[in-house]
Amino acid sequence: MAAAFTSSPNRMELMKVRKRLALAEKGHDLLKDKMDALVMELFNTLKTIQKSRATAIEQLRKGYEAVSACMAVMGTFETMQAAEETKKEIQIEISERNIMGIEVPTVEIEETERNALTRGYSLHTTSSHLDTAAREMERAVKLLVELAELEVTALTLARELERTKRRVNALEYILIPRLQGAMNFIMMRLDEMERENFTRLKRIKAILEERE
Amino acid sequence: MSYKIAVIGDPETVIGFSLAGVSHTHVYRDKNKALGQLEEFLNNREIGLILITHRVVESLGPEFHQVVRKKGLIPLVLKIPDKTGYSPEKDELSDLVRRSVGIEIPVKTEGE
Repeated sequence: MAAAFTSSPNRMELMKVRKRLALAEKGHDLLKDKMDALVMELFNTLKTIQKSRATAIEQLRKGYEAVSACMAVMGTFETMQAAEETKKEIQIEISERNIMGIEVPTVEIEETERNALTRGYSLHTTSSHLDTAAREMERAVKLLVELAELEVTALTLARELERTKRRVNALEYILIPRLQGAMNFIMMRLDEMERENFTRLKRIKAILEERE
Repeated sequence: MSYKIAVIGDPETVIGFSLAGVSHTHVYRDKNKALGQLEEFLNNREIGLILITHRVVESLGPEFHQVVRKKGLIPLVLKIPDKTGYSPEKDELSDLVRRSVGIEIPVKTEGE
Protein backbone atom coordinates (compact mmCIF):
# COMPACT_ATOMS: atom_id res chain seq x y z
CA MET A 1 0.00 0.00 0.00
CA ALA A 2 2.64 2.46 1.05
CA ALA A 3 4.82 1.55 -1.90
CA ALA A 4 2.43 3.36 -4.18
CA PHE A 5 3.43 6.65 -2.63
CA THR A 6 7.11 6.29 -1.79
CA SER A 7 9.93 5.29 -4.01
CA SER A 8 12.55 5.77 -1.33
CA PRO A 9 11.91 6.29 2.35
CA ASN A 10 13.88 9.35 3.32
CA ARG A 11 13.24 12.57 5.18
CA MET A 12 12.50 14.49 2.00
CA GLU A 13 9.72 12.05 1.06
CA LEU A 14 8.34 12.24 4.58
CA MET A 15 7.99 16.00 4.35
CA LYS A 16 6.28 15.73 0.99
CA VAL A 17 3.78 13.18 2.26
CA ARG A 18 3.07 15.29 5.33
CA LYS A 19 2.31 18.27 3.14
CA ARG A 20 -0.02 16.27 0.91
CA LEU A 21 -1.81 14.87 3.94
CA ALA A 22 -2.36 18.33 5.40
CA LEU A 23 -3.76 19.53 2.09
CA ALA A 24 -6.01 16.51 1.70
CA GLU A 25 -7.41 17.02 5.19
CA LYS A 26 -8.08 20.68 4.56
CA GLY A 27 -9.83 19.83 1.30
CA HIS A 28 -11.86 17.19 3.04
CA ASP A 29 -13.07 19.64 5.68
CA LEU A 30 -14.01 22.22 3.08
CA LEU A 31 -15.91 19.71 0.96
CA LYS A 32 -17.72 18.42 3.99
CA ASP A 33 -18.87 21.96 4.81
CA LYS A 34 -20.02 22.35 1.23
CA MET A 35 -21.93 19.08 1.49
CA ASP A 36 -23.74 20.21 4.64
CA ALA A 37 -24.71 23.50 3.04
CA LEU A 38 -25.94 21.70 -0.07
CA VAL A 39 -28.11 19.35 1.96
CA MET A 40 -29.72 22.29 3.71
CA GLU A 41 -30.39 24.12 0.45
CA LEU A 42 -31.76 20.99 -1.13
CA PHE A 43 -34.13 20.32 1.74
CA ASN A 44 -35.42 23.86 1.63
CA THR A 45 -36.12 23.52 -2.08
CA LEU A 46 -37.76 20.14 -1.65
CA LYS A 47 -40.07 21.50 1.00
CA THR A 48 -41.55 24.04 -1.40
CA ILE A 49 -41.50 21.72 -4.38
CA GLN A 50 -44.13 19.31 -3.08
CA LYS A 51 -46.72 22.03 -2.70
CA SER A 52 -45.86 23.73 -5.93
CA ARG A 53 -46.05 20.45 -7.80
CA ALA A 54 -49.46 19.58 -6.40
CA THR A 55 -50.99 22.94 -7.31
CA ALA A 56 -49.42 23.06 -10.77
CA ILE A 57 -50.55 19.57 -11.68
CA GLU A 58 -54.02 20.19 -10.36
CA GLN A 59 -54.30 23.36 -12.44
CA LEU A 60 -52.96 21.54 -15.49
CA ARG A 61 -55.59 18.84 -15.03
CA LYS A 62 -58.28 21.52 -14.95
CA GLY A 63 -56.79 22.99 -18.10
CA TYR A 64 -56.85 19.68 -19.98
CA GLU A 65 -60.40 19.10 -18.85
CA ALA A 66 -61.46 22.47 -20.20
CA VAL A 67 -59.66 21.81 -23.48
CA SER A 68 -61.39 18.46 -23.84
CA ALA A 69 -64.77 20.03 -23.12
CA CYS A 70 -64.07 22.71 -25.66
CA MET A 71 -63.12 20.15 -28.28
CA ALA A 72 -66.31 18.27 -27.58
CA VAL A 73 -68.47 21.36 -27.96
CA MET A 74 -66.70 23.17 -30.77
CA GLY A 75 -65.15 20.26 -32.60
CA THR A 76 -61.52 19.22 -32.78
CA PHE A 77 -60.72 21.00 -35.99
CA GLU A 78 -62.24 24.29 -34.93
CA THR A 79 -60.37 24.18 -31.64
CA MET A 80 -57.12 23.55 -33.46
CA GLN A 81 -57.91 26.43 -35.76
CA ALA A 82 -58.50 28.73 -32.80
CA ALA A 83 -55.29 27.55 -31.17
CA GLU A 84 -53.45 28.43 -34.38
CA GLU A 85 -54.92 31.91 -34.35
CA THR A 86 -54.12 32.61 -30.70
CA LYS A 87 -51.40 35.18 -30.20
CA LYS A 88 -48.24 33.49 -28.95
CA GLU A 89 -46.73 36.03 -26.66
CA ILE A 90 -45.64 34.29 -23.49
CA GLN A 91 -42.20 35.41 -22.43
CA ILE A 92 -40.21 34.28 -19.44
CA GLU A 93 -37.21 35.87 -17.82
CA ILE A 94 -34.43 33.55 -16.78
CA SER A 95 -31.39 34.61 -14.84
CA GLU A 96 -28.75 32.59 -13.08
CA ARG A 97 -28.27 32.53 -9.36
CA ASN A 98 -25.33 31.18 -7.47
CA ILE A 99 -25.65 28.74 -4.56
CA MET A 100 -22.28 27.57 -3.22
CA GLY A 101 -20.73 28.05 -6.64
CA ILE A 102 -23.48 26.20 -8.43
CA GLU A 103 -25.49 27.95 -11.08
CA VAL A 104 -29.22 27.58 -10.62
CA PRO A 105 -31.92 29.32 -12.62
CA THR A 106 -34.33 31.98 -11.42
CA VAL A 107 -37.35 32.23 -13.63
CA GLU A 108 -39.78 35.08 -13.73
CA ILE A 109 -42.99 35.24 -15.69
CA GLU A 110 -45.44 38.03 -16.15
CA GLU A 111 -49.14 37.55 -15.68
CA THR A 112 -50.18 35.04 -18.33
CA GLU A 113 -53.89 35.43 -18.00
CA ARG A 114 -55.33 37.48 -20.82
CA ASN A 115 -58.58 39.08 -21.69
CA ALA A 116 -60.65 37.11 -24.20
CA LEU A 117 -60.46 40.08 -26.56
CA THR A 118 -56.69 40.14 -26.63
CA ARG A 119 -56.13 36.45 -27.29
CA GLY A 120 -56.40 36.84 -31.04
CA TYR A 121 -58.97 34.25 -32.04
CA SER A 122 -62.31 35.30 -33.38
CA LEU A 123 -64.92 35.64 -30.66
CA HIS A 124 -67.60 35.51 -33.25
CA THR A 125 -67.01 31.92 -34.29
CA THR A 126 -65.86 30.39 -31.00
CA SER A 127 -67.68 29.12 -27.96
CA SER A 128 -67.20 30.36 -24.41
CA HIS A 129 -65.72 26.97 -23.64
CA LEU A 130 -62.69 28.05 -25.61
CA ASP A 131 -62.26 31.08 -23.37
CA THR A 132 -62.44 28.89 -20.29
CA ALA A 133 -59.91 26.46 -21.76
CA ALA A 134 -57.51 29.23 -22.67
CA ARG A 135 -57.85 30.84 -19.25
CA GLU A 136 -57.22 27.60 -17.36
CA MET A 137 -54.21 26.77 -19.53
CA GLU A 138 -52.79 30.25 -19.05
CA ARG A 139 -52.97 29.78 -15.30
CA ALA A 140 -51.39 26.35 -15.62
CA VAL A 141 -48.48 27.71 -17.66
CA LYS A 142 -47.69 30.27 -14.98
CA LEU A 143 -47.63 27.63 -12.27
CA LEU A 144 -45.60 25.24 -14.42
CA VAL A 145 -42.97 27.88 -15.08
CA GLU A 146 -42.62 28.45 -11.36
CA LEU A 147 -42.43 24.71 -10.79
CA ALA A 148 -39.76 24.35 -13.48
CA GLU A 149 -37.48 26.71 -11.59
CA LEU A 150 -37.79 24.67 -8.40
CA GLU A 151 -37.45 21.30 -10.12
CA VAL A 152 -34.34 22.29 -12.03
CA THR A 153 -32.81 23.86 -8.93
CA ALA A 154 -33.42 20.73 -6.90
CA LEU A 155 -32.05 18.46 -9.62
CA THR A 156 -28.93 20.55 -10.04
CA LEU A 157 -28.34 20.66 -6.29
CA ALA A 158 -28.89 16.93 -5.90
CA ARG A 159 -26.45 16.13 -8.71
CA GLU A 160 -23.83 18.44 -7.25
CA LEU A 161 -24.42 16.89 -3.84
CA GLU A 162 -23.83 13.44 -5.26
CA ARG A 163 -20.57 14.57 -6.83
CA THR A 164 -19.41 16.29 -3.65
CA LYS A 165 -20.23 13.25 -1.60
CA ARG A 166 -18.18 11.04 -3.86
CA ARG A 167 -15.24 13.38 -3.51
CA VAL A 168 -15.55 13.53 0.26
CA ASN A 169 -15.65 9.74 0.44
CA ALA A 170 -12.68 9.39 -1.89
CA LEU A 171 -10.65 11.65 0.33
CA GLU A 172 -11.87 10.18 3.59
CA TYR A 173 -11.63 6.50 2.80
CA ILE A 174 -8.93 6.28 0.15
CA LEU A 175 -6.51 9.15 -0.17
CA ILE A 176 -6.11 10.12 3.48
CA PRO A 177 -5.66 6.55 4.81
CA ARG A 178 -3.14 5.85 2.06
CA LEU A 179 -1.14 8.93 2.84
CA GLN A 180 -1.19 8.06 6.53
CA GLY A 181 0.00 4.58 5.69
CA ALA A 182 2.80 6.01 3.59
CA MET A 183 3.81 8.32 6.39
CA ASN A 184 3.91 5.50 8.92
CA PHE A 185 5.91 3.37 6.54
CA ILE A 186 8.54 6.08 6.05
CA MET A 187 8.81 6.86 9.75
CA MET A 188 9.27 3.23 10.68
CA ARG A 189 11.80 2.73 7.92
CA LEU A 190 13.77 5.77 9.11
CA ASP A 191 13.74 4.53 12.72
CA GLU A 192 14.86 1.14 11.54
CA MET A 193 17.72 2.67 9.57
CA GLU A 194 18.81 4.63 12.61
CA ARG A 195 18.86 1.50 14.75
CA GLU A 196 20.84 -0.33 12.08
CA ASN A 197 23.37 2.46 12.00
CA PHE A 198 23.59 2.48 15.76
CA THR A 199 24.32 -1.24 16.06
CA ARG A 200 26.78 -1.05 13.18
CA LEU A 201 28.74 1.65 15.02
CA LYS A 202 28.68 -0.35 18.26
CA ARG A 203 29.92 -3.41 16.44
CA ILE A 204 32.76 -1.51 14.72
CA LYS A 205 33.76 0.02 18.00
CA ALA A 206 33.88 -3.42 19.61
CA ILE A 207 36.03 -4.80 16.77
CA LEU A 208 38.43 -1.86 17.00
CA GLU A 209 38.76 -2.29 20.78
CA GLU A 210 39.51 -5.99 20.35
CA ARG A 211 42.41 -5.23 17.98
CA GLU A 212 44.12 -2.94 20.42
CA MET B 1 -32.83 37.71 -20.72
CA SER B 2 -36.23 36.84 -21.97
CA TYR B 3 -37.07 33.52 -23.51
CA LYS B 4 -39.93 31.59 -25.00
CA ILE B 5 -41.53 28.31 -24.04
CA ALA B 6 -41.72 25.15 -26.13
CA VAL B 7 -44.04 22.16 -25.76
CA ILE B 8 -43.75 18.59 -27.01
CA GLY B 9 -46.69 16.28 -26.46
CA ASP B 10 -49.87 14.76 -27.80
CA PRO B 11 -52.21 16.90 -29.93
CA GLU B 12 -54.50 17.86 -27.09
CA THR B 13 -51.67 19.01 -24.85
CA VAL B 14 -50.24 21.05 -27.68
CA ILE B 15 -53.59 22.67 -28.45
CA GLY B 16 -54.04 23.56 -24.80
CA PHE B 17 -50.65 25.22 -24.54
CA SER B 18 -51.07 27.03 -27.86
CA LEU B 19 -54.30 28.49 -26.51
CA ALA B 20 -52.37 29.74 -23.50
CA GLY B 21 -49.93 31.50 -25.80
CA VAL B 22 -46.96 29.11 -26.02
CA SER B 23 -45.13 29.81 -29.26
CA HIS B 24 -43.11 26.70 -30.10
CA THR B 25 -45.00 23.44 -30.24
CA HIS B 26 -44.45 19.97 -31.59
CA VAL B 27 -47.01 17.20 -31.79
CA TYR B 28 -45.47 13.82 -31.10
CA ARG B 29 -45.82 11.46 -34.04
CA ASP B 30 -42.75 9.31 -34.16
CA LYS B 31 -39.63 8.96 -32.14
CA ASN B 32 -37.06 10.23 -34.61
CA LYS B 33 -39.00 13.34 -35.53
CA ALA B 34 -39.58 14.15 -31.88
CA LEU B 35 -35.90 13.65 -31.05
CA GLY B 36 -34.87 15.92 -33.91
CA GLN B 37 -37.35 18.52 -32.78
CA LEU B 38 -36.19 18.25 -29.18
CA GLU B 39 -32.62 18.82 -30.26
CA GLU B 40 -33.68 21.78 -32.31
CA PHE B 41 -35.50 23.26 -29.32
CA LEU B 42 -32.46 22.68 -27.13
CA ASN B 43 -30.21 24.47 -29.59
CA ASN B 44 -32.63 27.31 -30.18
CA ARG B 45 -31.35 30.22 -28.11
CA GLU B 46 -34.77 31.82 -27.97
CA ILE B 47 -36.23 28.99 -25.93
CA GLY B 48 -35.83 28.98 -22.18
CA LEU B 49 -38.17 26.22 -21.10
CA ILE B 50 -39.22 22.99 -22.75
CA LEU B 51 -42.30 21.24 -21.46
CA ILE B 52 -42.53 17.59 -22.46
CA THR B 53 -45.11 15.04 -21.41
CA HIS B 54 -44.05 12.00 -19.40
CA ARG B 55 -45.47 9.72 -22.05
CA VAL B 56 -43.32 11.22 -24.79
CA VAL B 57 -40.26 11.01 -22.53
CA GLU B 58 -40.96 7.34 -22.05
CA SER B 59 -41.36 6.62 -25.72
CA LEU B 60 -38.10 8.42 -26.47
CA GLY B 61 -36.36 6.17 -23.98
CA PRO B 62 -32.66 6.53 -23.15
CA GLU B 63 -32.04 8.80 -26.13
CA PHE B 64 -34.00 11.50 -24.33
CA HIS B 65 -31.52 11.57 -21.48
CA GLN B 66 -28.58 11.47 -23.86
CA VAL B 67 -29.86 14.51 -25.71
CA VAL B 68 -30.81 16.41 -22.59
CA ARG B 69 -27.58 15.73 -20.77
CA LYS B 70 -25.62 17.72 -23.37
CA LYS B 71 -27.43 20.98 -22.67
CA GLY B 72 -26.31 23.73 -20.33
CA LEU B 73 -28.45 25.27 -17.62
CA ILE B 74 -30.75 26.92 -20.16
CA PRO B 75 -33.14 25.77 -21.55
CA LEU B 76 -34.82 24.18 -18.58
CA VAL B 77 -36.64 20.93 -19.27
CA LEU B 78 -39.75 20.05 -17.30
CA LYS B 79 -41.74 16.87 -17.63
CA ILE B 80 -45.48 17.29 -17.28
CA PRO B 81 -48.39 14.89 -17.10
CA ASP B 82 -50.65 14.67 -20.17
CA LYS B 83 -54.43 14.75 -20.30
CA THR B 84 -54.73 11.36 -18.62
CA GLY B 85 -52.70 12.68 -15.70
CA TYR B 86 -50.10 10.05 -16.35
CA SER B 87 -46.78 10.36 -14.56
CA PRO B 88 -44.39 7.53 -13.78
CA GLU B 89 -44.28 6.12 -10.28
CA LYS B 90 -40.53 6.35 -10.11
CA ASP B 91 -39.78 10.01 -9.74
CA GLU B 92 -36.39 11.12 -11.03
CA LEU B 93 -35.90 13.79 -8.40
CA SER B 94 -36.84 11.79 -5.32
CA ASP B 95 -34.75 8.95 -6.69
CA LEU B 96 -31.73 11.19 -7.01
CA VAL B 97 -32.29 12.69 -3.58
CA ARG B 98 -32.55 9.31 -1.96
CA ARG B 99 -29.33 8.29 -3.60
CA SER B 100 -27.45 11.45 -2.72
CA VAL B 101 -28.55 12.00 0.88
CA GLY B 102 -30.59 9.01 1.99
CA ILE B 103 -28.20 6.14 2.32
CA GLU B 104 -24.70 6.61 3.54
CA ILE B 105 -22.43 3.93 2.19
CA PRO B 106 -18.95 4.28 3.54
CA VAL B 107 -16.54 2.69 1.09
CA LYS B 108 -13.74 1.44 3.19
CA THR B 109 -10.68 -0.01 1.51
CA GLU B 110 -8.75 -2.34 3.69
CA GLY B 111 -5.53 -4.18 3.03
CA GLU B 112 -4.70 -3.86 -0.66
